[in-house]
Amino acid sequence: MILDEGDAQSLANKILGLSKADSCIVTISGDESRHIRFAQNMATTNGSPGDIEVSVESHFGKHSGAASGTDLGDDALVALVAASEMTARLAPENPEFMPPLGPQKYVEETGFSPATEVVTSAMLAAAVQPVLRQAQAKNLQASGFLEAGVSFSAFATSKGLFVYDRETEVLHTVTARTPDGTGAGWAGTTHYDFSKLDAAAMGSVAIDKAVRSQKPSRLAPGKYRVILEPSAVSDLIGILVAEEFDQRAADEGRNFATKEGGGSRLGDTVFGKNVTIYSDPNDPVAPGGIYSDDGLPAQKTMWIENGVLKNLQCSRYWAQKSKLQPVPGPTTLTMVGGTTSIADMIKQTKRGLLITRFWYIREVDPQTVLLTGLTRDGVFLIEDGAITKPVCNFRFNESPAAMLNKVVALGPSVRTYGEEGPGLPVAAPPLLVDEFTLSSVSDAV
Amino acid sequence: MRNAAALEAAEQLDLTGKLGLADAALGVAKSLGASYADLRLCRYQTEYFEVRERRLEESSAGLSAGFSVRVLLDGTWGYASSPLATVDEVKRVTARAIEVAKASQPLQLRKFVLEDVPVYQDRWDMPMKADPFKVPADEKIAKLMAMNDAALKAGADYATAAFAFVREEKFFASSRGSRIEQTRVRVMPDTEVTVIDKASGHFATRDGLAAPRGSGYDYILSYDFTGEAAKAAEQAREKLKAKPVEPDDYDLVLDPTNLWLTIHESVGHPTELDRALGWEANFAGTTFVTPDKLGKLKYGSSLMNIIADRSQEGGLATVGYDDDGVRTSGAEFPIIKDGIFVNYQMAIGQAQLIGQKSSNGCAFADSWSAFPIQRMPNVSLVPNPKACSLDDLFADVKHGIYIVGNGSWSIDQQRHNFQFGGQLFYEIRNGKLGGMLRDVAYQGSTVEFWNSMDGIGDASTYFLGGAPNCGKGQPEQTAPVSHGAVPARFRQVTVLNTARKVLT
Repeated sequence: MILDEGDAQSLANKILGLSKADSCIVTISGDESRHIRFAQNMATTNGSPGDIEVSVESHFGKHSGAASGTDLGDDALVALVAASEMTARLAPENPEFMPPLGPQKYVEETGFSPATEVVTSAMLAAAVQPVLRQAQAKNLQASGFLEAGVSFSAFATSKGLFVYDRETEVLHTVTARTPDGTGAGWAGTTHYDFSKLDAAAMGSVAIDKAVRSQKPSRLAPGKYRVILEPSAVSDLIGILVAEEFDQRAADEGRNFATKEGGGSRLGDTVFGKNVTIYSDPNDPVAPGGIYSDDGLPAQKTMWIENGVLKNLQCSRYWAQKSKLQPVPGPTTLTMVGGTTSIADMIKQTKRGLLITRFWYIREVDPQTVLLTGLTRDGVFLIEDGAITKPVCNFRFNESPAAMLNKVVALGPSVRTYGEEGPGLPVAAPPLLVDEFTLSSVSDAV
Repeated sequence: MRNAAALEAAEQLDLTGKLGLADAALGVAKSLGASYADLRLCRYQTEYFEVRERRLEESSAGLSAGFSVRVLLDGTWGYASSPLATVDEVKRVTARAIEVAKASQPLQLRKFVLEDVPVYQDRWDMPMKADPFKVPADEKIAKLMAMNDAALKAGADYATAAFAFVREEKFFASSRGSRIEQTRVRVMPDTEVTVIDKASGHFATRDGLAAPRGSGYDYILSYDFTGEAAKAAEQAREKLKAKPVEPDDYDLVLDPTNLWLTIHESVGHPTELDRALGWEANFAGTTFVTPDKLGKLKYGSSLMNIIADRSQEGGLATVGYDDDGVRTSGAEFPIIKDGIFVNYQMAIGQAQLIGQKSSNGCAFADSWSAFPIQRMPNVSLVPNPKACSLDDLFADVKHGIYIVGNGSWSIDQQRHNFQFGGQLFYEIRNGKLGGMLRDVAYQGSTVEFWNSMDGIGDASTYFLGGAPNCGKGQPEQTAPVSHGAVPARFRQVTVLNTARKVLT
């Protein structure tokens, strides 16, 4: 269910008006989307879901509690406010309580497209149809997912803050497999603008990879020079920055950015000089939400600049205690790219691997952000500047923090999508990386 | 009143109201040409409490209610959902589901056909001693505070403890005539302690070993959380000084607190029929267990017996009827029998594709707005019928490691190659348990691994582990599922050392 800005504000005001607490925060969010899911060259489970949620956080002094619901009826809202107030009264005092923010200044939302808002299921089916036709023509099996939708969220406080954000999102992923199960290829992206999506072209990439990856050879595991396509890069940098860049954890001694002897490595050059990663809600390629934690404005935030650790996420409480500025979590992520195309990277590589994407990434050691996961849907051996053959998938055991010290070349940064990342809009380049640790071979195709 | 039961004041439909909505949905679906339709009207009551050190980080209550309608129109699926459960909205949403199906029809290379399943009018409520939603919030918070207090007193630098509770109420109505009401409850404890060595910049964590369960609050009361919290702090400290593991092949004795997740990933997922049919190829993946292997594949050693059920007490997948309306009692089935793969997990519309008759009750939708897909029942390792203790398993190991609890976990999209960590690792030398090791992860290949199992514990060593958040499907759905396990011994498994130095 989508509420426009006026309706969202009226609802927020109605709830704030019911509050008997010292202070109160109201958040409202909802979505409407349509999707077509397909497998084995045919539609499977197609849908049009919609959701809404309203939540209230009430505060009495430093006691706080929250309640959420899906019912917008008057009686339900009264019950919701009562439940959050009761929860707050039963809560022990939180010495780290921070009062709600007053009005803030926000940038204009740029991640909304009217073209996406009006997408119908028939339009989705028409976009998918050429992918299925191509796959059938080549005797391959195509599977995938195409979704287009609108979501909104609003954040209001009893101190007069109100912010409304409305975004559109398109997600398209496609996997092509050979009927004998020896070849598989994938392509995928997100976008806010459905009119910019070329589903057929994505299908062609997946199909081409499936054909070229057939009957892979087994290579010994070890440390390889690798070219990571943007999807693979987005997973690794997404996990690192969105989940591990934490000022408090670093200061408390339990983070990759903890310094020996105490404190964090903020301001130190800890990555290669060719690495710059930032968030910008108005990034032209990957625009993101205009507000973040506690209603703080999302603004351009440099995380890593030329290898220097510039910012770690920092809550309002920790910022006040540590005399720092609060740094809310990212609503989007961009890694600055370079000028070396994947084709040029291949030419520069004497022996290495081209990796399409990753799968099932999990953290092995929080101390080093050592991650494990697998390559998927196309790994190719490069010898003397050219791709020579497809090879079996590998399990990797590698830390993105270590990887960002081993980047040899970067390609242009593009809008991309990885299944294993934190779910933010991401722009990432392909990377040429040295000594990437592949610890065992997988027979999965 | 000392809990969020105030939310109960929000409007709730009685059975007559639900039946009325069912008639509206199924009537519209039929008039618009659907050969099959169902309505799922659900309500989820939730509570979450999180304490960090001696401070309440979050106390929240939630109520999420809504419905979805699923239609089969000339062999094509369509569904739609809404949070607004009124007759008019149900009619609008049903028409939307029809529209979605119609739009998708040009892509329907092969029509979906649903087998007949028995029709039920029934109500099922999970048996439970103490309803967690009737326990005062401050009592639950006090318990979490006591847990962290015990950890901090025992030397932890940081401690986090959380309880999540869910009550799931579902009403299912199908065009074939089933009308089923169900209620069940899940309790999910989650704890972690951290210890710091400032001088070296190193730290260690120890997660709690208590499993989430389909149980009442009595499960929380029966578990010694404060005792474990204190022990966890000591063990985390010990981890900092433990001997780094030497990478090598070792005999492993896996505690059931570790093995349940290995069962989930390397037996549960590979034997899902929708994966074998290629329906998850774009996301969760396919499986090495192709239909030609049914009744033939020697999955593991003859000690390996794996059963699937949705009726086990405390099981997170335990329920009276699945989300296709198939009764689960009496539908228990073996997946692996004496080491041989004998059955897939199935939802409706799948069995005929491998020459079988009917679903075995494994459909699940994770919310009122989700499409039911095949999800895991409780999938468990059957204990050794002969007496066998943990010490008996150690006795025959010369060069081994005993692993307790879950660390990181990862497996490929066809379920061959896996890597698992743990919480605690102990050396086994010449049949005896030795000192603690650190930085251990084991890698293996599913069939080779399960065929190397040459010892398993008896029923006295049984433990029911589980996960509240198993991911599958697009849009992604998370399912709760339990896995019973006993300790087991595996020969010559590859072990890595996971320590690294990363920053310049």
